Amino acid sequence: MSATQSGPLERKFSVPDTGRAAGRAAHVAGERVANGRILRLVKSGPERQALDSGQVDAVLDPASGNAFLLPDARRALFSAGGRIANCLLAALPRKAYQSLLGELEPVTLTSGEVLHKPGERIWHVYFPNDSQVSLLMVVADRKALEVGLVGREGMVGIPLALGADVSSVLALVQGSGSALRMKAASFREALGRCLPLQHEVYRYAHAKLVQARQIAACNRFHLAQARLACCLLLTRDRLRSNQFHLTHEVLADTLGIRRVGVTNAAGALQRRKLISYRRGDIRILNPKGLKAASCGCYEIVRKLAL
Amino acid sequence: MRSEKTTSSDAGPAVATLVVMRLYVADSAPNSLKAIANLEAICKEYLQDNFELEIIDVLEFPQRALADGVLVTPSLAKVSPSPAAKIVGDLSDRRNVLQVLGIRE
Repeated sequence: MSATQSGPLERKFSVPDTGRAAGRAAHVAGERVANGRILRLVKSGPERQALDSGQVDAVLDPASGNAFLLPDARRALFSAGGRIANCLLAALPRKAYQSLLGELEPVTLTSGEVLHKPGERIWHVYFPNDSQVSLLMVVADRKALEVGLVGREGMVGIPLALGADVSSVLALVQGSGSALRMKAASFREALGRCLPLQHEVYRYAHAKLVQARQIAACNRFHLAQARLACCLLLTRDRLRSNQFHLTHEVLADTLGIRRVGVTNAAGALQRRKLISYRRGDIRILNPKGLKAASCGCYEIVRKLAL
Repeated sequence: MRSEKTTSSDAGPAVATLVVMRLYVADSAPNSLKAIANLEAICKEYLQDNFELEIIDVLEFPQRALADGVLVTPSLAKVSPSPAAKIVGDLSDRRNVLQVLGIRE
């Protein structure tokens, strides 16, 4: 709490908070005004130390009589609509969830970030909110195949719950967004004392196992176009948006095909006016039609894992 | 609105005198939730039922916090027994919290 960070203060206080409701906090016209006011309010003392160590959610302004939320707090409160965004955590009884809060740390995941590497120790588990993480099997010649996808419905780091502390897959962030993370040791300890968490994690682990089996069968028997449609629908469900960004490379890894195969499959779906696809920016134009074009695995995986 | 009050005095306390506290939070922002969880754990372990805790949401009642000299949340104010004291942050530094509340480990 007493540690002093050397990070730029401008970044920390750069966004003026306009309040969760317009009437609650006065609108601050410019960043400089907001910065100046907040910095002046907490120039020194324990408040300043708490601010510098990231332990403050809001600052009060005696002049205006308002409370100003700091950016991280505002993001946490409003990006998830004030609710627990991760479904696995949201399924826990309130008391059980609250008992975990001391260990959960909000983080931002960036597309392309590696969370776990195959054969390496797992240091943290992640509960995505609006981010998405792809679990890839990497084979000797550096080819990768997606064997699972984790979004708000689940968590990354299941092996820890099953007694292994080493990852067997590459956990790669596919969609940027927020998540909550917990240290591996804390997660194991929480799993031991919190039965509702244990129940939810085991239920989810089973769903992931079934999903992996389904993907294995799907990869062997279904055509690329149907699998691409299935993949896009599952991504849409996880992100709750008909628009998202997925590069050719990511889709090729996901489907276990070459990039030219992705081009052909996406082109076919585009010609049927089911999607629009331009430089990785995907828009689902006709969800019903896309569902009809997908293989039956979509419904099975959705029911099990989402 | 979130302003709760928990009061009890019947059970055998770990600390003889009633400890009256006010915790100022910002809705369910991460540090505020941590502070509540950390304080709940401390109260359960050291104070049992011999405490009075009021949780005040400064987004609902900013004037209340300002009147009490609170500048940031989460902040915990010990009202009684005297001397009054205050601690800011997510209350993860248990030793510091216990010191402020006048509780021996």
